[in-house]
Amino acid sequence: MELYLISLATVAALNVMLAVGLNLISGFCGQISLGHAAFYGLGAYAAALAAVAGGPFVGNLVIGIAVAALIGLFVGFISLRVREDFLAIATMGVGFLFLGFVRKQNWLGAEMGISQIPAPPLDRIGFAALCVGLAILVIILSLHIGRSWMGRALKAVAQDEDAARTIGINVPRFKLAAFTIGTAAAGLAGGLYAYMTQLIVPDAFNFVQSVTILAMVVIGGIGSTWGAVIGAIILTLMPEAFRFINDYKLLVYGALLLLVMRFAPRGLAGIASSVVTRFRK
Amino acid sequence: MRFKFPGLAALALVASVAGASAQDVRIGFHVPQTGFAAADGKSALHGAELAVEQINAQGGINGRNLALVVYDDQGRADQAQPIANRLLGEGVKVVISGSYSGPTRAAAGIFQNAKIPYISAYAIHPDITRAGDYVFRTSFMGEVQGRAGAKLVGDFIKKKRVTMINLNNDFGQALGAGFKEAAPKFGLEIISEYNYGMSDRQFGSIVASVRRDNPEVIYASGYFFTAGPLVSQLRAGGVKAIIVGQEGYDTPNFIEIAKNAAEGVIITTSLDRDSKDEEMRAFIDGYEKKYGVAADMVAATTHTAVRVAADALRRAGTEDTAKIRDAIANGKVRAATGTIVFNELGEISKNVQAQIIKDGKFRHYAVIEDPVLLAPPTK
Amino acid sequence: MFQLELVVVGIVWGCTYAMMALGLTLVYGLLRILHIAHATIFTLGAYIGIVVANNTGSLWLAFPAAMLAAGIVGPLIYRLVYEPILQQPPYVALIASIGILIAMEDGFRIIFGPYGLSFLNNPWFTTIYDFGGITLNLVQIWMVAAAVILISAFALFSSVSRSGVAWRATVSDPPIASSFGIDVIRVRYTSFFIASCLAAVAGVLVGLLNNLVEPGMGNIVSYKGLAIIVLGGLGNVIGTLIASLALGVIESFGTVYLDQVLDRDAIAFLFMIIVLIVRPQGLFAPK
Repeated sequence: MELYLISLATVAALNVMLAVGLNLISGFCGQISLGHAAFYGLGAYAAALAAVAGGPFVGNLVIGIAVAALIGLFVGFISLRVREDFLAIATMGVGFLFLGFVRKQNWLGAEMGISQIPAPPLDRIGFAALCVGLAILVIILSLHIGRSWMGRALKAVAQDEDAARTIGINVPRFKLAAFTIGTAAAGLAGGLYAYMTQLIVPDAFNFVQSVTILAMVVIGGIGSTWGAVIGAIILTLMPEAFRFINDYKLLVYGALLLLVMRFAPRGLAGIASSVVTRFRK
Repeated sequence: MRFKFPGLAALALVASVAGASAQDVRIGFHVPQTGFAAADGKSALHGAELAVEQINAQGGINGRNLALVVYDDQGRADQAQPIANRLLGEGVKVVISGSYSGPTRAAAGIFQNAKIPYISAYAIHPDITRAGDYVFRTSFMGEVQGRAGAKLVGDFIKKKRVTMINLNNDFGQALGAGFKEAAPKFGLEIISEYNYGMSDRQFGSIVASVRRDNPEVIYASGYFFTAGPLVSQLRAGGVKAIIVGQEGYDTPNFIEIAKNAAEGVIITTSLDRDSKDEEMRAFIDGYEKKYGVAADMVAATTHTAVRVAADALRRAGTEDTAKIRDAIANGKVRAATGTIVFNELGEISKNVQAQIIKDGKFRHYAVIEDPVLLAPPTK
Repeated sequence: MFQLELVVVGIVWGCTYAMMALGLTLVYGLLRILHIAHATIFTLGAYIGIVVANNTGSLWLAFPAAMLAAGIVGPLIYRLVYEPILQQPPYVALIASIGILIAMEDGFRIIFGPYGLSFLNNPWFTTIYDFGGITLNLVQIWMVAAAVILISAFALFSSVSRSGVAWRATVSDPPIASSFGIDVIRVRYTSFFIASCLAAVAGVLVGLLNNLVEPGMGNIVSYKGLAIIVLGGLGNVIGTLIASLALGVIESFGTVYLDQVLDRDAIAFLFMIIVLIVRPQGLFAPK
């Protein structure tokens, strides 16, 4: 039973990294990204290739982060040129392009993916602890950014880009920073994922995965770090807790997204803060 | 003998009739019940449940009933791992994968480490059995079936000019690789090659290209939901070449979609609808009777996997998983898809059936018997 | 000759995309909402169509039945889901739409099974015409015809009839439009109705073309539809049509010549991203 809980904790930690990272981009900075899974995939593929080539554990993870962040920076540049709805579709496009490309390249394993990735130099418990520890670091980083000057600048950009520009915020720089950090977190999660499963296939990083990560952020409350964390944990545990709805899983999941958006668009964090405000009155 | 507690006795009687789960021998089973792979998952589950029913009707495992512990993995590797750990926690002694390669390979490592025998019913990635000596596969590897296809075209259909149309996934890639590898041995000339994706249903431009190439045979990999439209559109486009498919076509759904276009299509598979073999008949007829639809290959191979597991459990007669594993490895089980014998890697070595569609039904066409050609890798 | 055939194939595909993309651009033009759930209407149309066709033996009944079902469900989605959240930031409608897509796809699987349905009688598919070496079946011909007829009808409607003009006014400037007495709400319902009917027709035709109706059949068409409306300039009808046909043709050639390099579905998005980098407002500037 503990093995099960440990593997669940590991998956939850990865999802937290993904959700918190996406929240930096879409929540703090208002740039809706529908392609976050591509950066997850970039990190996974980069780290996996490095690992299969014999690189050291930590080095491979760093490579994963670097590759994801680099492409993230590039996508950030695209975000500078287009706005809002275009960006959502553009990031969706990035996701499809990534998969479409990977599927055809033999050196990336094509459809077979990359297999025989060596095991991490830690046992299951140690690895889970590492993932949780890194997730906590990502959370701390996000909270820090949120409270810092950078966070306030990002939120200004999210609320009204033109106004932000007029008070002297270097909008491009902050957008790029958000994309880079957010995708770096995804890259880290990707590298860890590769070590966790020891086999990665393109399908694991498709549009449905991107939507799932966005759902975690949105249900938790877009713009809130803790919201993203809670959202990630809930959506990780949900299939486990609701095994009895086995056959109706996706129906329930879709309905949940719909209902939360329809009735509580600011997510759990929104509900929490309105409860707190009502309490204070 | 007098029962001191008639109530208890009655309870025990009821419990045993109802199949008390404390007594059951439990096999773990993960399958995609939801998500993109739900169609195959449904077939796999049906095949497995039929096997359990038939095994229990014949006395179960040394008097105890067989039961499946089923989990939905949605066809995803990251769902398969927690499920694998959960199954371990529930104390199952054997696990069967009714799912695709991603989840199966992810789970294989876990079961290997925990020394629980793990049988992959139809996932084709070569690395699955490389996870270790506790992992087995009851279906053909993609490459093996591809090679069989080459022999089928060269020696049985006796044609040389081939166009390949490959599905872009691990299955299609493996089939294509095997076919190309063996093609020179049978004097085949691959005049052109095209690829398509899992979500493609419209093949207009490929059809136009094939018409221009004018091959004698088309070797096309796919599943019923791609092959059905592909074959219909090829015939509607005036392509007269013989079409050769594989297991992915082996389901009544293919014929339902392609209708008349399916006539004359030849496939490599493990089922022979005209077979007199009792195991095959018991499966084919039993499936149709229980579910009201004709059987398909995914169901057949999952049925076989359950049979192999049950046979090993019976012969081992113990809960010691090492002995169960040995029983599987040394077994020779006659099942729906043929006689199952494993090599040291855990791969099977057996003949390939070839079926042709005549009058809207799968009929016997040939048996491809070539142990050297069809030998799976040993490591 | 072969290249010409590829172009023809591409145009047929482009017509399917056009019927879907037109609906998407209508909704976007009016409400600035990316109606991903449009895929669901497409699939619903296909399922209703095939159920009616298989049970009544008549293909002709399938279309009105599909359009009726879609014509009810589409506007219903607007009323129940989008209207209440119009004041929210755009991602809310987007995620809600995705939620509808995921839920309904699973709903179709639960109701109709995962294997998909096939037409018992598909005479249009087997009726084949030869135009000097290029073969087209009746479904393909109808696909082009339906697109031409329906879209021209829409174009006529929006330039000539009062409601059509009202629509164009509402798209350009809702407050001024309503100050002129235009019933903005009615325009919205009309738009959803038209968009959904187009999607339903496309759905039935695609179902006939593949002889397969499956729960997930709308997904890819919808994603590409989004790429198309970006290419065409969000809210720009003519641009959308041109982009649809262009994409169809590019895919047709790409499937044959680029299949070693890139997935077919990725081609649409590659095209889109390149255009966005070069011309961020789309190929055709929004009206």
